[in-house]
This record gives sequence, C-alpha cells and structure tokens, in this order.
Amino acid sequence: MLRRFPIRYRFLAPLVVLLALVVAYPLGYSVWLSLTDRTITRPETSFVGLEQYGSLLTNGGYGTAMRNTLVFVVFAVGIELALGLALALALQRQRWARDATRAFLLTPMFVTPIAVGLMFRFLLNGQLGPIPAALGSVGLSVDFFGTALALPTIVAIDVWQWTPFMVLLLLAGLESLPRQPFEAAKVDGASAWLTFTRVTLPLLRPVIAIAILLRALDAFKVFEYVFATTRGGPGDATDTLQYLIYRTGFQFFRLGEAAAMGFVLVGLVLLLVTILYRTLLRQEARA
Amino acid sequence: MHRSIAWLALLLAALVLAACGGGDDASDGGGAGAGSTDPAKVKGTVRAIMEEVPDTDVVKEMLPEFRKAYPGVDVKIEALPYDQMRDKIVSSFLASEPTYDLIVVDNPWMTDFAMGGFLEPLDERIAAVQGYEPEDFSKPLRDIADVDGKTYAVPFYNYALALVYRSDLYEKAGLQAPKTLDELKAAAAELTSGKRSGIAMQPQKGYKIFEEWGNYLLAAGGSIQDASGKVTLDSPEARTALQTYIDVYKASAPDNSLNWAFDEAIRSASSDRSAQLISYNWTLPTVNESGKPFAIAEVPGGRAVLGAWYWGVPKNSAAKDAAWSFAAWVTGKEREKARVIAGGAPVRDSALDDPEVWEQGLGEDYYKTVKAILQDAAPLADGPNAEEMINVVGNELNAAVAGQKSVDEAISTAAKNAQEVLDR
Repeated sequence: MLRRFPIRYRFLAPLVVLLALVVAYPLGYSVWLSLTDRTITRPETSFVGLEQYGSLLTNGGYGTAMRNTLVFVVFAVGIELALGLALALALQRQRWARDATRAFLLTPMFVTPIAVGLMFRFLLNGQLGPIPAALGSVGLSVDFFGTALALPTIVAIDVWQWTPFMVLLLLAGLESLPRQPFEAAKVDGASAWLTFTRVTLPLLRPVIAIAILLRALDAFKVFEYVFATTRGGPGDATDTLQYLIYRTGFQFFRLGEAAAMGFVLVGLVLLLVTILYRTLLRQEARA
Repeated sequence: MHRSIAWLALLLAALVLAACGGGDDASDGGGAGAGSTDPAKVKGTVRAIMEEVPDTDVVKEMLPEFRKAYPGVDVKIEALPYDQMRDKIVSSFLASEPTYDLIVVDNPWMTDFAMGGFLEPLDERIAAVQGYEPEDFSKPLRDIADVDGKTYAVPFYNYALALVYRSDLYEKAGLQAPKTLDELKAAAAELTSGKRSGIAMQPQKGYKIFEEWGNYLLAAGGSIQDASGKVTLDSPEARTALQTYIDVYKASAPDNSLNWAFDEAIRSASSDRSAQLISYNWTLPTVNESGKPFAIAEVPGGRAVLGAWYWGVPKNSAAKDAAWSFAAWVTGKEREKARVIAGGAPVRDSALDDPEVWEQGLGEDYYKTVKAILQDAAPLADGPNAEEMINVVGNELNAAVAGQKSVDEAISTAAKNAQEVLDR
C-alpha cells in the first residue's frame, strides 16, 4: 500500500501530519466555531452559517474597535518607522561606544508588554505618577487617559517599546547596503538629502517593507497596553479588536461570535499584507 | 463462547453499578460513598484554583491543620490573577480531563456556571455535614448561590462595599459618616484641600465603575433589575445617581483619574492623597497600614453592593468527595472563626457576633458594621450573562463620566443594552 506513494511524499508525511495537527485542525475548528453560535455556558450549539459575520456589520462596538485598531496600527507603525529610521541613520555614523549604545537602545523590547502597560499606568497616573508630577511642576496638567489622549497615549507606549525593533532591522539593512552607489553619489556631488531620498531609501525599500509588515502584524494584536491601562475606555475610545474578541470569547463565553470577529480581522490583515507586498516589493523588482 | 463472555461482562457491570448505588444509599446515612466527609474514609488529591488575594493566603495557612484532620486528602492550591484564573476555570470545565477539582466562583458567574451544568449541586452534601448550619451564612450570600432552587456553592468570603474613610479628617471637620448621597457629596467637597482629594474613585470602564456606582444607584432608590430579573435601570433614580456620581468625581476626585480602578484608589488613600473611598470592606487593614486612621461605615443610603466569592465543586472534578470535604471544613463554623481572626473576610453571622473575633480581629465596630452591611446588601448582578450585563452598563457609565454622552443618553442606552444581554 505504501508503494503507491512515491518516496518524496513519504518523507514529507511526518511534517504534513504535524502541520495538520498544530495548524490546520485548530484553524479548521475555529472556522467551524465561527459558523455556529457556540457559547461555553450553554450546552446546545446550532449551526448559523454566516449570520454572525453579517451581524458584525451592524455591531457598532465592532466598528469602533476596528477603527481604533486601524488608527493605532497606522500611527504606531508610522511613528516607529520615522523614528527608527532617524535613529538607525544616526547610529550608523556613530564612532565610539557603538555596541553599548545599541544594547541600551534595545532594552525596551525585552520587557513583557503587560509589564510595560502596567508600568505606564502608574508612571502616567494623574495623582501618583512621576510624569504628571514633573509636568505639574511646570504648570502643565495632561489627562493622559482622557477621551482625547487615551489612544495617542497607547500609541506612545507602543512607540516606546517597539521603536528599537525598527532600529534593529533598519540598521542591519543600512549596514548591508553596497558602497558603490553612495560613492558614485558623492563623486557626482549629490547633497546629503538627495543621497538619502534617491539612493538610501530606494535601496532600503525591501527592508522597510519587511519592517512595516512585521510591526503592523504585531500592532494588530494590541491587547496588553489596553488591558493594563484603560480597559478600552473612556467610553470605547481605546477599545481594540483583540480586546473586544477577548471579552466576547472569554469573558462573555460566546466563542462562536468571537471566532467570527477574529476571522474578519484575519481577512483584513491578509489583504493588507498582499497590498504591501505588491506596492513595496514588486516595484523593487521592476526597478 | 464469545456470547457467554459478553453476558459475563454485562453481569459484572451490573454488579459494579449496584455496588455504587449501595454506596450512594449508605452516604445518606452518613457512611462512605458520594457526599461523605468522614475524615477516616475520604482520600484523594484536590487541585484547587484560587485568586491571588489576601483571603487566599489565609486559607493557604490553614492547610497543615486540614491535613491533620484529613490525613488522606492532599489539597494543592494554585493562585492566579483574576482574569487568568477565570480563563483556566472555564478551560477546565470544557476539558475531557479536568485540571481542577475545586474552584472559587465569583458571584457574577454563578448562574452561568450552574446553568451550563458545570457545577455539582451541593444540597445533599450540605445536609449530610453534621453541625454545618448553612443558615448561619448571611442570607444575601446564600441567595446568590441558589440557582433555580438548588445550592451550587458555599460562601468563601464577601466583598460587600463600604465607605472607607479617614476618621481623623472627619473628626477635625466635625463631620459624621454620610448617610445620604448629598452628605457624601458635601463631605467629599469639604475634605478636598491642597494635595489631598476628598474622595478617590474608580471610574474605570466596565466592572469597576459599575461596582462603585451601584452604591449610588441603591442610595438614590434605584435598581438594576426587579425581582423577576427585568431591567429597571431606565429610571429617574438612575439618572440622579449618575449625575451625583459625575458631580462628586468632578468636584472631589483626583484630577485625570478616569481610568482608575481599585488599586489606584487604595494607593491614593494609603499615601494620604485622598480622604476616603468606596471600596471593599476588607480593605480597611490594608489602608490602615499607612499609619493614618481609617474606619468603615455603611455606604450612603445604607444599602451596599454585594460581591462574594464561593467554593464550588466542578461537575467533572476528579475528587468530588475530597474537594467537598475541604470546602465544608474550611467554611464550617469553627474554621470560619479562625479564618476571620486571621484576617479573612467573614461570611457567617456567628463569626461576626463573636466577642473573641472582635477582640483578636479588627474590633467590635468593624464587625458590627460589616454585619449591618451584609444584612441588606444587594448582589452586584443576578441571573445569566451577568458578567456581560455589568460590562455593557459599566461602559455607558464611564462614557458619561468622560463627557462623551449625556446622563440621559447613557442611562437609556445602558438599560436597553442590559436588557438585550439578559434576553440573549
């Protein structure tokens, strides 16, 4: 019976079985869940087809969480990219204490995100935190977790923690660039700005694309900062998709609906990844 | 040949079943089998899951004593933070092999867990324990564990809310503990001075603001649900309560404290930055550690929001008898007294009335106040989907405090959403 399968498939079999077990089965099960009204606290479960996907369209809370998440991703990743690029360019020219500076700059990445969230919750506490106290001494009162600033505050926490990641990737990219184009630009008398926009950026494009991709995928999963600081408040100003999915599935026990919410997000992320690949990587190939 | 083996197997199975049945019958008479708490006969390992709170530490310290009374039972306690604990409990319910044999149940989960068929009904087991006196548990606490006429859990500790206030500041200002919302508002405003706020609040979205504001609602004469479970939130009383809450927040709470929860409020009071707070009655020893004199009083209006933790035995528990033995032992009259003296939050009237407890614990005033609070406290929420109901209402309350919605809009949306959740 085994002879029917060529040897290459037989060698592949263990991996296929493993993938089926750890990836395909849970994924398939959660697709199935999203098509049922499975609720942990109820014994009976019925098949509802795409009903739960449809109801997300009219679910105001889901729309708000989606908007907040997109705003968070765009601003957090955008700021991290700009800051990261600036820092990477500066670090590339650094002459002394390079390793120490780099190691020091990377430290925020090593802290677990929930701890970072809790840390900022108390650092920014209006009455007891050192940051508002410092601002208070120059007569400033900032409501970091008020309606207007709560989402920007969470973006800032993400920027604090993950800019080093951008620096790491971009710096590695910068240092691996060929020297000849830069020497040619110098010989031609190009200004620093011209060299940066016409030589550095185009050469660095694939690295930037990958950096944006990795950070954006991670930023879509924002949960810890929201959970630790605002729980989605004030009102629903900082409610994000992951926190909403967590509440629906684990706190309110509605696994089916939470799965549907999750798959819409998966679809959206896949779409964004495809667009990113086309615009950033394909142009590279053409150029 | 094959057929005769099958018959033999069937016969054996029948015998085994009969034997088990016999065991059950015997237990009613106090013998071994299901429901037995006889120390000589109960054996097993009990994997218990609890929350990381001071009350859990008190129970942990009682384990060696339990071991002496029940040499055959080994209780292993795993303590986790709240959210993680709930997720693990639910996973254990659904698993084919349970992870936990004994759990603690928060009151908003009670109906959902009982109706989901995850908890073992305990009526017969309770009746079988000699000298247990379940009616000694404060009545509002007993009522929460009663779902459709069956008892699914026994009280572990209460977290009814109280006004925790600085007695020295009150005295200096010539004030009495406030009896009405207006008095609270006035006292908070008067005690606001310089760096110290008049009251620390917990307006964080969801559970926290709901728990705190519920006391304002009861004081204003409103309610969340009526006796039949119908949502009665859309009322003038609820609007008054929310308006007062917002007024107190704006006038007397620390600036920019919109995301504050329990922890921040406690820290603020402990570090002499707030004169009072509405919080769990058992926070008193914690805030008193700051060296400033705090006291507790009933919340304004006299009816507090009641929260409580319970011991429950999961239906899929691998050691039901052993788990129940521990729950019955630790909640028994004698252990309750020792637990309360060691700092646990009381659930039995007998402990609250005991002069020895007063003397060795936190003093007569404290226990008398707690008893008065418990007597007529109203549960945080009752019925199915309670957790979600609390969250949808708490969301609107927080939006109103943040100024995103008017009081009127917030209350009517909250009532509408709460009814939708309960009807689900």
